[in-house]
Amino acid sequence: MAALAERRPLGDNAKAWALNAPAIIVVTLLIAYPIAYSFWVSLQRHNLKRPRATKFVGLDNYGALLSDQAFLSALKVSALFVLLVLGLTVVLALILALVLNERFRGRGLLLSLALLPWAMPGVVNGLMWRTIFDAKTGALNGLLTQLGLIDGYQAWLTSGTGAFLFTALAQVWNTLPFAVIILLAGLSTIPAELYDAATVDRAGGLRRFVHVTLPWLLHPLLIVLILETMNAFRAFDTIYVLTGGGPGDATTTIALLDVQTVLTFTDFGLGSAYAWVITAITLLISVGYIGLLYRKGNFEV
Amino acid sequence: MSTVVKVPLRYRIPWKKIVLYVLAVAFALYLVLPFYWIVAMSFMREVDAISVPPHWIPNPATLENYLGFVNPNEAQQLVGGRAIDETPYSLRNSLIVATSTAVLNLVLATFAAYSFSRLKFRGSQVLLVLYLLTRMVPGIAIIIPFYLLMRTFGLLDTYLALILSYTTFALPITIWILKDFFRSVPRELEEAARVDRCGWFRTMWSVFLPVAAPGLVAAAVFAFMTAWNEFMFALFLTSTEAAKTIPVVAANFATDFNTQFTVMAAAGVLAVVPPLVLALLFQRKLVQGMAAGSVKG
Repeated sequence: MAALAERRPLGDNAKAWALNAPAIIVVTLLIAYPIAYSFWVSLQRHNLKRPRATKFVGLDNYGALLSDQAFLSALKVSALFVLLVLGLTVVLALILALVLNERFRGRGLLLSLALLPWAMPGVVNGLMWRTIFDAKTGALNGLLTQLGLIDGYQAWLTSGTGAFLFTALAQVWNTLPFAVIILLAGLSTIPAELYDAATVDRAGGLRRFVHVTLPWLLHPLLIVLILETMNAFRAFDTIYVLTGGGPGDATTTIALLDVQTVLTFTDFGLGSAYAWVITAITLLISVGYIGLLYRKGNFEV
Repeated sequence: MSTVVKVPLRYRIPWKKIVLYVLAVAFALYLVLPFYWIVAMSFMREVDAISVPPHWIPNPATLENYLGFVNPNEAQQLVGGRAIDETPYSLRNSLIVATSTAVLNLVLATFAAYSFSRLKFRGSQVLLVLYLLTRMVPGIAIIIPFYLLMRTFGLLDTYLALILSYTTFALPITIWILKDFFRSVPRELEEAARVDRCGWFRTMWSVFLPVAAPGLVAAAVFAFMTAWNEFMFALFLTSTEAAKTIPVVAANFATDFNTQFTVMAAAGVLAVVPPLVLALLFQRKLVQGMAAGSVKG
């Protein structure tokens, strides 16, 4: 590698780094520095309302997490939320991608419709589902009543379990398109000859799916799993608007708890510690992601 | 294998087609109905929107909810005063912030992406991975230092604070998308320009970039949408109508118990129209970009 690099014209190296310099400066200043600084803040007692009390406390904020009921509960809510959102998203996205991979009339229209939730800001997504799930006037109640499926209007969001389930559903609607697009791109790389061969062998639809489609989809599926895990783990906008974390702390995910800690209680020290736990978990996932890209040899530069 | 039942071809029920169309229609309804509901509501009178059983079609349809943002009537002033007043400002703010982000991001990303697509240089792999890694950093992890930084420089509640944060969000992914687009531009074009003794900037400006224009547009649209849709940073960094963006104001509607559903729906529709129009206009390029930005690595 090094020997190869020596023989390259020196100009390219200098030029390339010069071209990257502006981007590197922005990224360093606005991401690398803040993330290092946030670790520093997480080691302090740091509350904006009591600036004089700011003090270095070492790992105390992290130690406090272990017995912090709000934190432990949020971690549990987040984990369950990720599992539910991920499971639903992957299954729905796989089916929709398989449908879109076929030729039929209206395919283009369906693809355009699939982009609709992707274009929607998370806040608007929250507003939208709020009006739909509303206990007194919501569209869901109206629809189910008119179809005769329920006897009377239900308050979907007042029980903890209900709020959790419906928040997950709202989140799935929003993140579905991304997974669909990635899976669809994966499907389109499967050579048609493979299907032809399978058809000659008289393999049925299910066997074709298991033996031809799935192996080819493994890589895009893993990528969807990783990216959607991160998305669901950080989910904030929709939940904030739809339930605000309630009732109680039934939908208070770790991201929501962090924002409450910082915005409402201005506890920057503890908030930074929360943020670092989120970062650590996210980084673990992304290491897996990048390792995966490397191993599949898709990382040509 | 020998027990295949032979059905004469013309009597065979096209199960596959039926399943396909049933699924396609089901998904189409799932994707469009929720959105239809807020669009419909935004054209309803409040009495109709909250009626039981619900009105599915705005009848009589009214523009009142939209006009209220410009010239609120008494009832609207009474129930949703502040958020209603702030909606026009926030739309303007969002537009300025998102457009500036798109432009700044494009300039920075074009330089970097060009180096990855045309130059062989030491450390290029590492640098690309580092860019990708920054995309993985959760916004929540940098929001506190970011807030403190912006406060130090007196940039709280300004466009610049938002533009800078959104540019850093969009930059890594844009570099990745653009490097792929740039690779598909034939090298011969630049070589021809070089033979004509055009300088590097001249070559870029009048030969390379025009050919790469579709990719640039897609990247700009990506950045615009990232900036337009972002909520958490805007919530932290803005506090008045000087910089509040539409997601922040839209969220205010949700937390205000007095809000009329119809006005809230109208604000939501206004917030979704720009990204939606862009997504539909640039559908093919965006889909390509999304796939390239993740599947191909």
